Order: sequence, then structure tokens, then C-alpha cells
Amino acid sequence: MKLRDPCLSSEGAEVILATSSDEKYPPENIIDGNSETFWTTTGMFPQEFIISFHKCIRFSKLTILCYLVQTIRIEKSLSMDPVDFEKCVEKDLHYSEGELQTEEFSFPDCQATYLRFIIKSGFDHFVSVHRVMVDGMAEDM
Amino acid sequence: MAKLAAKCLMAGDPAVGKSALAQMFCNDGSHFQKNYTLTTGVEMLVKNVAIPETNSIVELFIFDSAGKELFSEVLEKLWEHPNVLCVVYDVTSEQSFNNCAKWLEKLRAQALGINLPGVLVGNKTDLIGRRVVEQKQAQEWAQNHGLEYCETSVKEMENFEAPFHILANSFHRLYQEKRGETAKQK
Repeated sequence: MKLRDPCLSSEGAEVILATSSDEKYPPENIIDGNSETFWTTTGMFPQEFIISFHKCIRFSKLTILCYLVQTIRIEKSLSMDPVDFEKCVEKDLHYSEGELQTEEFSFPDCQATYLRFIIKSGFDHFVSVHRVMVDGMAEDM
Repeated sequence: MAKLAAKCLMAGDPAVGKSALAQMFCNDGSHFQKNYTLTTGVEMLVKNVAIPETNSIVELFIFDSAGKELFSEVLEKLWEHPNVLCVVYDVTSEQSFNNCAKWLEKLRAQALGINLPGVLVGNKTDLIGRRVVEQKQAQEWAQNHGLEYCETSVKEMENFEAPFHILANSFHRLYQEKRGETAKQK
């Protein structure tokens, strides 16, 4: 078992769905390990993206780096396919002009094969997600 | 290439031609509805607008809203999270022009603190002899309220695409500005 962040494309994670597309700001930017690159939404809310780990991971903390996000809901699935999502948390974030929002969520011993992020509203027309980090490890399937 | 999505709220007094304008735009000028039908609540129409000199598209979700006061409570909910605004009046009706301030205030109250691009549309310019609101007067009012301005005759199929092209282009410009700002955040 590894102790690296499983939420990186280099560790096999993949964004399998994103509701906005601009080829200059692709959803892969969320899991590239670089907080200077980002995925942007391109209009109406809600917006969402789904990260697949392609394996079961066990984690206790999740951090999201984003900008101008107002209400976010995070869901997880333990299925082989991206179905049967259950709510982990829903939160109203604080407005912080001129700097990225860093939001940490703690979960006591959480398992997932997929994570779904639903951005219900923003502080502006467009919001961005720069990174999702997970403190956890891959389980042996 | 980017695909943007904008919720466009359309408002104005009853019978100024909001639905006719929205429908004419969405069916590419193939049909002018001669008989008046009262819009209850909201009718949503969707159309893609290509942004010139880019590969980008703005998908406009046009919320054609009832002008009758009776439906105002229903509208509040349906109007949540707007992106762009279109206020329509009838150039032969002073009252419909005077009420634009009220409509604009209601629309902007939906997104306080957010810059909402908007356009004021003077419709029914084909009724030349009955015109009471002068172009200059309306244009000034629009400018003072941070709106673009255009005139249309939906009946004569004149300029009916202009308001939506203006809105799509403004929204796209806003997107580019905001993306530039985001790239500077650390």
C-alpha cells in the first residue's frame, strides 16, 4: 500500500465527467498536481465533475483548491461503475477575493472508487477548481 | 474552443413582444406568431450563438418571462442565478418604457454584486406613426443603466437577432476577462 495522494493522474486517477468544456482549461488540470492550472466552469449552475480512482481508496481527509465557489456538495461511490453516489458533505464556502479557497474536509475512514463534486452556485458567473488532494491510500481489491 | 452556457432572463410589460422576439430568434425568423398568447410563468428556449473570430459557442437558455404582475412570485424562483438580461419595451407605449426601471431592478436583485450584461430592446419600430418613445431618449436611459441598446421590429423580421448576439458576445468577453483574472490567483 502506498501513502501517496491517489488523486493524481500520475497515480491512475481520471476525471471521467465534467459539465463544462474549454480546451484551454481541461478537467485533467484538477488532478495534475499543479495548483496553477485549473478547470473552469463556463456558465450556468449547477456544475459537476467526477473523479475515478479505478480502484478502491481509503482516505480520511480531502482538500479542494478552488476559486469563487459558493456551495459545494461532495459525494462518493464504492461501485465499480459511477452509480449509487452517497452524500459525504455539503458546504457553503467563504468568499475570498484575490486568493484561492482552500477547503479541508475530514472523513473518518472513508472508502471510495469515485468522487463526485457538485458545484451548486458560485460568487460569480464562473468558478474554477485547481486541485483536489486526498490523504489516503489504495486498498488491495 | 469553449462552450459557454448563459441563462438569459427576458422581462418587460405584457404584450411588448418578448415571446415573439424569443421565438423568432430561436426559429431563425421562419415564423412570426400573429396571435397573442399570454405567457404564464416562464417559457424556456435554447439556442447556440457562435462568437465571431473564435471557435467558441454560447448556448443561450432564454427564460421568456410573463409580463403580468400576477406571475411575479413564480418568477422570483425561476429567475435564480441569471447570467445575462434582456429588457423589452414597446416604442409605441410610454408606460412600457417607464416600467423598464422596475423590471431591471427586479432582475438585478437576483444576482447582487455580480456584473450582469444586459440589453434594452425597443420593439415594434414598424408602427412608425404611433411611436412615442424616441430612440435617443431610450438609448440614453440604457447607457445610464449600464445596458446596451437596440431596436427591433419582430413583425418585419428586422434586427431580431441583434439583442441575443450582443448578450452572447458580452458574456463571452466577461468569460475571457474572468479567466485572465483567475490565472493570476495563487
